[in-house]
Amino acid sequence: MVLESGTLTSSSSWVGSISLDEFRVAALSFAERWERCNSSFVQWSWVCPKRLGFAAGKVEGYLCLQNILIPRGTQDNCCDEASANNSKEEPCFDGEDDPIDNATLVQSSDGEAHYYDFHIVYSNSYRVPVLYFRGYCIDGQPLVLDDIEKDLPANSSKILTESKWTFITQEEHPYLNRPWYTLHPCGTCEWMKLLYANKAPMVKGVPVDQYIISWFSVVGQVIGLRTPLEMMRS
Amino acid sequence: MASESQANAARKVVVHLRATGDAPILKQSKFKIGGTDKFAKVIDFLRRQLHRETLFVYINSAFSPNPDELVNDLYNNFGFDGKLVVNYASSMAWG
Repeated sequence: MVLESGTLTSSSSWVGSISLDEFRVAALSFAERWERCNSSFVQWSWVCPKRLGFAAGKVEGYLCLQNILIPRGTQDNCCDEASANNSKEEPCFDGEDDPIDNATLVQSSDGEAHYYDFHIVYSNSYRVPVLYFRGYCIDGQPLVLDDIEKDLPANSSKILTESKWTFITQEEHPYLNRPWYTLHPCGTCEWMKLLYANKAPMVKGVPVDQYIISWFSVVGQVIGLRTPLEMMRS
Repeated sequence: MASESQANAARKVVVHLRATGDAPILKQSKFKIGGTDKFAKVIDFLRRQLHRETLFVYINSAFSPNPDELVNDLYNNFGFDGKLVVNYASSMAWG
């Protein structure tokens, strides 16, 4: 089976998922192109897990991006937008009450850097890549979802408020067996199918090596990681 | 070189909007946008036309650009013949 140059089944009948073998091909291609187009950024690495008592298959593994520093206070625009919306929705005070100043709470954590680890793991049940992540302070103290929410782009915090249980939740990391945050994979097949639905007609099928780049162009926006446009060039 | 890059910056790109899934087709499916505008402008246009807050907007080549990307950069990577094909679906669910 030649997967490196292969395409998934013709796009009309494709259900949006990939196999474990295809995941590995797509993941390695993603990491290689990330390195080529985003060389100044931290690099993804392929991790082969060693599971006690189990001989991990040679294709088994996941992609890993570690120690990403999220500088605080760089998302001024998003905050402005959010506070502008709030002011519209909040009931007006008659001027005698002290206004509740949420900003003081945010300021107390100012200057404290937050680090993130991101893993792209294959889900055997959904047959799609799934993003797992965790955030921590410099002293190793893990961040809870409320802290993480403040680091997310404005649009993600909005989705998080609207659909609390179907967006970001805590799950056991399939290889590390510890609780990590994860993006819900239920809808992935559907939107991956949409992404490839209107592809230029001269391109037959879905190229395996582009799958995770397309996938990450959507997922990266949730966590505020940009996918270089040049990565889509083969 | 300087004049060429100036011409590039002033270039207008024709955006073709294509509905996918159950998204309604727009009466005005083409519009011109400045190359130095951000992709967010295209998303905002679609939001206003479709009266929807959440939309799934992506480029014809299976890529969903960050709203901060410049239209010029998107055109240089994904466009042809002065056109940039942008697909939209009316909803996108995570779970």
